[in-house]
Amino acid sequence: MAKELNIAAQFEDAGQQRAVADLGIWIFLATEILFFGVLFTAYTFTRYHHPGAFAAASRLTNVVLGSSNTAVLLTSSLTMALAVRAAKLGRRRILTAWLAATLVLGLAFLVIKAIEYTLDYQQHLVPGINFTYAGPDLLRAQYVELFFYLYFVATGVHALHLIIGVGVVGSIAVLAARGAFSKAYFTPVEVGGLYWHLVDVIWIFLYPLLYLVARA
Amino acid sequence: MISHPISPVKTYFLVWLTLVGLLLLTLGSAYLRLGWLNGAINLGIAVAKALLVMVFFMHLRSSQTVLRIVAGAGFLWLAIMIGLAWTDFGAR
Repeated sequence: MAKELNIAAQFEDAGQQRAVADLGIWIFLATEILFFGVLFTAYTFTRYHHPGAFAAASRLTNVVLGSSNTAVLLTSSLTMALAVRAAKLGRRRILTAWLAATLVLGLAFLVIKAIEYTLDYQQHLVPGINFTYAGPDLLRAQYVELFFYLYFVATGVHALHLIIGVGVVGSIAVLAARGAFSKAYFTPVEVGGLYWHLVDVIWIFLYPLLYLVARA
Repeated sequence: MISHPISPVKTYFLVWLTLVGLLLLTLGSAYLRLGWLNGAINLGIAVAKALLVMVFFMHLRSSQTVLRIVAGAGFLWLAIMIGLAWTDFGAR
């Protein structure tokens, strides 16, 4: 019986096992907050000391693609939440469908991001490769470039998290289609969902800090 | 067993609608010339969106207290990192 429900030997019951899995993933997510936190800290002080350069740099980002991607990611969180709900209710087909939707939205985000990077490259915004800034002030150009270092590291590491997320959601979708989950056992769906939502939360902060600094 | 209440589908769609509304609000406000308020509004809306995702989609609303403590600890340590760094970099 315990084996059918995928309960490991050290746990009393499915509830205890789930509680431990939830705690484990949340501790990991807390470390992720700090992992990205370093970048947010660097951003905070560079922007504080060079507000003009950051305003000028932010205007060079692609606000249409950035905003579209925010909408795509927020929607993917909805489909992921609905997938977890379907898993809790033991509805296999609906679960698989919502996971597939999440996967498609995640891929859409990555495609849009790739297009955006291509446009950034064509506009000579990539530090270390082809960065050029035609501003009047040489000192400012330095900090505009620093903004784009932060932009590429932050969005790049975020995209890496999303690629991992797409892999996780894809694997869970295959398992779900094969009937690996039930009302009594759906820990991977829940844990994968929590990771997916946190990647969304990180983007929620990156979006205004990178794209909306000084649009007016 | 710890009970896990299941929210109705409607709740999830309402949260999503609010999130999209907040996205439009933050985008729109960025095009108004509001001075320092622009940044404050952007950050405030980001915090609101993050809370909506964490409370409803990540189920902090109904999860064990220990999970809320862990989630809060992540942000607390982030605040400590920025706060302590401020004592140096903020004063330069």
